[in-house]
Amino acid sequence: MSGIYVYSDNFGLSAALLSLAAQSGEEVCAITLDQDQADELVNYGADRLLVLKGDSPRPESYAKVIAELLKKENAELFLVGSTARGRELAAKTAGYLDCGMVSDAASLVFEVGKIVTTRLMYGGSVVQTEIINSLTVVTVPVGKFEAAKNESKKGVISSLEVKADQRVNIIETSPIKKEGIDLAAADKVVCIGMGLDKPEDIQIAQDLAQVLGAEIGCTRGIAEERHWLPVQSYIGISGANVKPSLYISMGVSGQVQHVVGIRDSRIIAAVDSNDKAPIFKAADYGIVGDLYEIIPLLTEALRNA
Amino acid sequence: MAKIIACYKWVADEADLRINADMSVDLSKAKGKISDYDKNAIEAAVQVAKGTGDTAVTLTFGSGKAKQSLKDALSRGPAEGFWINSGSAEKADGAASSKVLAAAIKEMGDYKLILCAEGASDTFARQVGPGIAARLDIPCVSSATGFEVNGNTVTVSRKLEDCVEVVAADLPVVVCVLPEINQPPIPGLKAVLDAGKKPTRELRLEDLGLSETDLAAKTELQGFEAYVMNRKNVILSGDSAADKVKELVANLKKEGII
Ligand SMILES: Cc1cc2nc3c(=O)[nH]c(=O)nc-3n(C[C@H](O)[C@H](O)[C@H](O)COP(=O)(O)OP(=O)(O)OC[C@H]3O[C@@H](n4cnc5c(N)ncnc54)[C@H](O)[C@@H]3O)c2cc1C
Ligand SMILES: Nc1ncnc2c1ncn2[C@@H]1O[C@H](COP(=O)(O)O)[C@@H](O)[C@H]1O
Repeated sequence: MSGIYVYSDNFGLSAALLSLAAQSGEEVCAITLDQDQADELVNYGADRLLVLKGDSPRPESYAKVIAELLKKENAELFLVGSTARGRELAAKTAGYLDCGMVSDAASLVFEVGKIVTTRLMYGGSVVQTEIINSLTVVTVPVGKFEAAKNESKKGVISSLEVKADQRVNIIETSPIKKEGIDLAAADKVVCIGMGLDKPEDIQIAQDLAQVLGAEIGCTRGIAEERHWLPVQSYIGISGANVKPSLYISMGVSGQVQHVVGIRDSRIIAAVDSNDKAPIFKAADYGIVGDLYEIIPLLTEALRNA
Repeated sequence: MAKIIACYKWVADEADLRINADMSVDLSKAKGKISDYDKNAIEAAVQVAKGTGDTAVTLTFGSGKAKQSLKDALSRGPAEGFWINSGSAEKADGAASSKVLAAAIKEMGDYKLILCAEGASDTFARQVGPGIAARLDIPCVSSATGFEVNGNTVTVSRKLEDCVEVVAADLPVVVCVLPEINQPPIPGLKAVLDAGKKPTRELRLEDLGLSETDLAAKTELQGFEAYVMNRKNVILSGDSAADKVKELVANLKKEGII
């Protein structure tokens, strides 16, 4: 077995996966569907770049083709960027190969003769460590690994004519408006939860955010059930990961699926009326109290600080 | 009338996890539940079957403990519950689960639509749905926020990172749903009583031409430990709200945040 194959529909993630794969010392091959991407990726340390030329714009439709390729090449690892398209492609490829799959690896270390991965289970309460010693598909989330240019090595680009699965076809796509927030990059985050009564009350959080120079984030229910904020605003296992210097929450109970998205914060502060709320176990500083009383006082105190 | 199959997993409730002093995880006291988002998959199956005149059924691969899930699942509206009863479900990885489920679906026959949730509450691996599709060599559409069946095709809206995509796929197909697809109602008393009278069918691995060795994990499990988060856990204890706020501000200053 030899060779690590890498694919992502997200360019930055492809580059990061190539840098990760390069740590193995094995031959690394980037798969792309796009000649321009191959030309760019050449600078990130791949030995080979393989452009799949097929008849579908959907990456997901190449799972069977990629499975056949990996088998033929006797690949040892297929690293896939964990985007919606990437995850589906990865899981179908693993299904066609009847091989193992590690979804959303939190870490991946190459050791002699094996690869050790960790991932989170039960919403983030448990870390599962697995050892890989045969062909496995691993998906890697955005932001876990850094891309590093390696211009000393120029990969060889080749292309391959392939047949995609034609049974799913795109009818239309409409872009989701990104409303100018990049929570992952925010230095401070004010997070609101279901403890807020009405949409107008978001103003309380906005006032605090303004004095702190913070972005506003929220829990899943605020975005997906109440639709008070855009879906990019929610933090957690199925939403954004944040790593600010300060995360401060109000009316957020702190269920593990949310907390998993804030663990990389430097300081976590929480305001909640329930002294048993799990958020206090995840926080550095907690205030047990009514957010409608505490937050305006805090905003005022910070303004004068 | 074809089958519309909703796959659900009977999982340990993460709220009941106990962490031992050595950081090992004790699941023995945890109550079971239908994986949260699988309730959305069941509801989607029931709704679509109403429109097409097909039959919504449920399918689960679980150990003896999962037997109690059948009534809960059927109280949500499906007409029949299928249960692959095997202790191997407790350690099954995504490969094993999708292999067993695909084999059961073949055995059940005459299916047009298979619904899974995007991810299960315990693993959140988001791989079993597409894995089933690959093993049946039928199409798959993941990240679904809505869908509609017309004749031999299904039209699905998908939520991707930067766009909403509408695709059409040939039936039969696996659709993996996101929770925003619907709001599953809490079953009423009558639905719960009726569920006890609905037919259920128990399948064994042997009936599916599989053995425990076919289901051996593909990776070697080395650790399963509680995640440790080291935080200061200071609850500010001032007498008044103003005092607490003052303490928080002082601490944020000390930390160099403000
Ligand atoms: C598979 C799966 C994935 C999930 N993914 C995510 C995810 O990515 N992100 C996410 O956020 N959630 C996610 N969830 C949901 C998660 O489990 C919780 O349900 C959710 O995070 C709870 O949101 P909340 O804290 O806003 O609401 P609640 O749990 O309802 O908490 C509200 C809090 O407000 C407090 N409160 C009420 N009034 C006041 C007041 N006046 N002053 C102060 N405090 C007050 C209450 O004491 C309570 O603690 C997921 C769930 C599952 C099953
Ligand atoms: N043992 C199982 N029985 C029935 N359905 C399952 C099982 N495991 C996974 N599924 C389905 O596949 C989905 C995704 O699971 P996972 O890939 O583990 O996140 C679940 O939400 C279920 O719909």
